[in-house]
Amino acid sequence: MGAPERIVVACLLSPTAPAERLADVARAFSPRVECRSDCVLVDVSGLGRIVGEPPVVARELLREARTHGIDAVVAVAATRMAATLCARCQVPGAWCERVPGAWQVPGAGYAIVIPQGREREAVSELPLSVLSVFGFAEELPTLDRWGLRTLGELAALPPADLHARFGAAGLALHRAACGRDDRPLVPNVDPIRFEASIELEWPIDGLEPLSFVLARLLDPLSTALEQADRGASAITLTLTLTTRERVSRRLELPAPMRDARTLRTLLLLHLESHPVTGAGEEASGFNGGIDRVAIDIEPTPARIVQYSLLERALPSPETLSTLIARLEAIMGAGRVGAPALVDSHEPGAFTISRFGDLVISRFSDRQITKSQDHQMILRRFRLPVPARVDLDCGRPVRVTTLRRGLAGGRVLERAGPWRSSGGWWDRKWNIDDWEVALPDGVYRIVRDRDSNRWCLAGILD
Amino acid sequence: MAILARADLESLLRVRKLDRTLVPAREHRESIPTGLSTLDKTLGGGLPRGELSEIVGPRSSGRTTVAFGAMRSAGESGELSALVDTFDRFDPESAAAAGIRLAGLLWVRGESAIDPVPALERAVKAFNLVLQAGGFAVAALDLADVAPSALRRLPFTTWFRLARAVEGRRTAALIVAPDHLARSPGGVTVVLEAAPRWVGSSDRARICEGLWVHPSVSLLPAS
Repeated sequence: MGAPERIVVACLLSPTAPAERLADVARAFSPRVECRSDCVLVDVSGLGRIVGEPPVVARELLREARTHGIDAVVAVAATRMAATLCARCQVPGAWCERVPGAWQVPGAGYAIVIPQGREREAVSELPLSVLSVFGFAEELPTLDRWGLRTLGELAALPPADLHARFGAAGLALHRAACGRDDRPLVPNVDPIRFEASIELEWPIDGLEPLSFVLARLLDPLSTALEQADRGASAITLTLTLTTRERVSRRLELPAPMRDARTLRTLLLLHLESHPVTGAGEEASGFNGGIDRVAIDIEPTPARIVQYSLLERALPSPETLSTLIARLEAIMGAGRVGAPALVDSHEPGAFTISRFGDLVISRFSDRQITKSQDHQMILRRFRLPVPARVDLDCGRPVRVTTLRRGLAGGRVLERAGPWRSSGGWWDRKWNIDDWEVALPDGVYRIVRDRDSNRWCLAGILD
Repeated sequence: MAILARADLESLLRVRKLDRTLVPAREHRESIPTGLSTLDKTLGGGLPRGELSEIVGPRSSGRTTVAFGAMRSAGESGELSALVDTFDRFDPESAAAAGIRLAGLLWVRGESAIDPVPALERAVKAFNLVLQAGGFAVAALDLADVAPSALRRLPFTTWFRLARAVEGRRTAALIVAPDHLARSPGGVTVVLEAAPRWVGSSDRARICEGLWVHPSVSLLPAS
């Protein structure tokens, strides 16, 4: 196995042509092109067998630019900084190799090649003012007061002293003066659209035929996502009906996923639990049929899962999303999730959040509330059961309800009352809580102090 | 002689793929503790995984406390739990106070419907889906407030289907009910009786601190 090939960067610069046109020239040689404001950088490493050595590459780049009618300057070097510095200066350094046949042709630009390992010498004769376009405009007056005129003089200074004077900018200045890079070339990547649509020859109606159409659309999209190492963060399904009505559904996914079967199941379950048609029509119908189906996927970097030998594996987000969608189709939207407490003293206050999010971030939420063993759990009546309570000196002695199965009876033990009130600005409550032991169990009963009505709040079990 | 005959019979059942009614060796089963030391000791570590068990008893006998104790154990080991709440009786506040990690609990809320039969059917369907999905250490179906008449309307095969769904998985499936309903061959029936533990003399100072739980376990003999 040989040594990895060195990275060679070519810089194309033209005072007249915009960077977009220069990028078109550069993309004829390599897809790895980084566009700057007035120049482009292209990774030409690996072109040795296709085009030739760096001087040949530089000459071909210049020729391609000429065919596009661009008067360009081409500089090829092992570093971005050296190539850019030499391309920006009209007079290249003494160590620059002038490409035969491409040097100082009037009106046709020129090309130079900087030998590998000679970047520092190649830029040493360039003036310091060339650094102003790299964000060092503030430091240049100071360097000028020090009597420095060229990059070579700056590179001769100790980096530690520059750091002491300028901080991190001093080290960056020294690297630039030596023709070294502070970061690798970052190619511009055109955003890939993950969308697909199909015009149906005959309208379809119902979820079952739609399932086959979705599979046909999602399979290639899933493959494309996998090839791009992306997952879907959200998926939008747009159905164009025969009535020219457009129905759009958007699913926010709890984790990046690209399994076509899972995505199809989630879309179908969403349509099943949120039917398209009105209340009086068949739930699975689509107003006469679907003419066109379109899917648009929002990509996001794929999920990388690191499993642990010490932690138990949790269900995958795909499994959980499918399960929750199926459960919501049965129980209703918003009735499946992870319970969470809210910052309130209101009895029975809670919220319900999406379960998948919490599972994914479980390792940041390992706080476990320690409490007494065998503490009694309240089984709360979400709709309080009205009750009639007989009192003796203000204490409950008998509880009677009309609810079948809750017989009530004589109070055997009692504890309370515990008074609580609040929410006067929104949902007011002003209650007395009692815990009473009846013949068939221990109940929590509540008296509304405003209306003096009693109800059963729950059973301790 | 009886042991040999039993072994022959079991091998015959396995050949015919009718061995689902055989009880696996209990000492090799994984279990999840309930937090009640006496009950865990009787059960040999806790409620068995991969089996359908039931926790039965009258009101205020500690059924919910025992089921939530298993969920708390699951949360402490970083595992997930699921609760199919048929009539929406779950109280997050008291569950959190009992030590349950709410973030790791999948709560499937039913409805306090007047007609309990549709709510019960939906809950059983949801419980079946949870068991089939797997990945939960404890999955509980709360039938504690379901009337016996509604339970009788469920097909008897329902419980076989649930037991089949959890078979071979690492989930301890629980049914919380007022009376014996069903369990898988390797599952257990925990029958609870309890008395509330009152502390304090006057009404205002008194508090129902907890339960004196007296569990009894019904299980098939180990093979």
